[in-house]
Amino acid sequence: MPRSLFRAVGSAFVVASLVAVAYAATPRETQQARHEHYEELGKAFKAIRDQTSASSPDFTALQKNAEVVHEASVDQQQWFPKGTGPEAGKTRALPDIWAKPADFEAAQKMFSERAPKLLAAVKSKDVDAVKAAFKETGGACKNCHDTFRAPEE
Amino acid sequence: MTEPVPSPARVRVWDVPTRLVHWLLVLLVTFSWWSAETGRMEWHRWSGYTLLGLVIFRLYWGLAGSSTARFTRFVRGPRAILGYLKGGWTAVPGHNPLGALSVVALLALLAIQVVLGLFAVDVDGIESGPLSTYVSFEAGRAAAHWHEDIFDVLSALILLHIVAVMYYVFFRKQSLVAAMVHGRRAFPEPQPAPMQSASVVRLLLGIVLAVALTWWVARAFQV
Repeated sequence: MPRSLFRAVGSAFVVASLVAVAYAATPRETQQARHEHYEELGKAFKAIRDQTSASSPDFTALQKNAEVVHEASVDQQQWFPKGTGPEAGKTRALPDIWAKPADFEAAQKMFSERAPKLLAAVKSKDVDAVKAAFKETGGACKNCHDTFRAPEE
Repeated sequence: MTEPVPSPARVRVWDVPTRLVHWLLVLLVTFSWWSAETGRMEWHRWSGYTLLGLVIFRLYWGLAGSSTARFTRFVRGPRAILGYLKGGWTAVPGHNPLGALSVVALLALLAIQVVLGLFAVDVDGIESGPLSTYVSFEAGRAAAHWHEDIFDVLSALILLHIVAVMYYVFFRKQSLVAAMVHGRRAFPEPQPAPMQSASVVRLLLGIVLAVALTWWVARAFQV
């Protein structure tokens, strides 16, 4: 009982703080936070790739980074509130994100469906499976970037 | 009856490996640019590995290849370049002192470009060169930015190279492009000594060296 109560309070706290952060942040701050989140994600991807090409992969590091990817795949659904497109400042996020919400949601869903498979592959300690899942997950990233991210300057 | 005009005999200037490397570089630099622009990174990596092999081979050929391919033969100092510009230079098979600068600059820049590509990481950490595993994300990103900037410099040099060659072809009536295709060029009398070939053994050694080194690098030094 106390445990579930603790959990409920904990969850409520997390939700409340997420809401608070979402409302407290200015659009520009949200953009910057988003940028940092994706940079963390990029680092996690590189770390996974590094390990899969190493002669003896470090599965602890792999799991840590696959979890970062997995969390990001869920969290990213909160990273694009309305008003944080190019109108709020320099960003590669394209207006179509908000103009075609159904398409964008489908693109995000592809990522959140593939990321757990990457984590599962890491937990199975099968390097070839990790490589294959990495490619799949990377494909989800590319799929969304091709449509909803402006090319690099 | 008209007397046939004696055409000046054509002297061997470039051997097959030198010519082949030249035209493969043209092909692969173009392909690398195109594959990067269109996001075909798997092909871009393979193109880069091939370029790495070609650069290694060309450097080796510059030390051990045919006479006109060797650096010691064509790399000259500022005095020779000035002398050439003033017209005090007799044409012989091989690069002239000014053209040598172009060769050295292009080859050096291409080598730098290929090495940067080996360490480059894309913004998402998904696509990367094989040696990026030895550097941080930030360093890999820096390599990628340099890889882009150096390409602009390389493009400018290639353009300069083409313009210079066109100048020789159209204004000085020297068929440099044809010479790079069939390996021969006409010289006024007295005929200079032709290019001296390198042995097949040396050629094979160079190919093995280039392939082995490239393979080793592409595998991030893990045999």
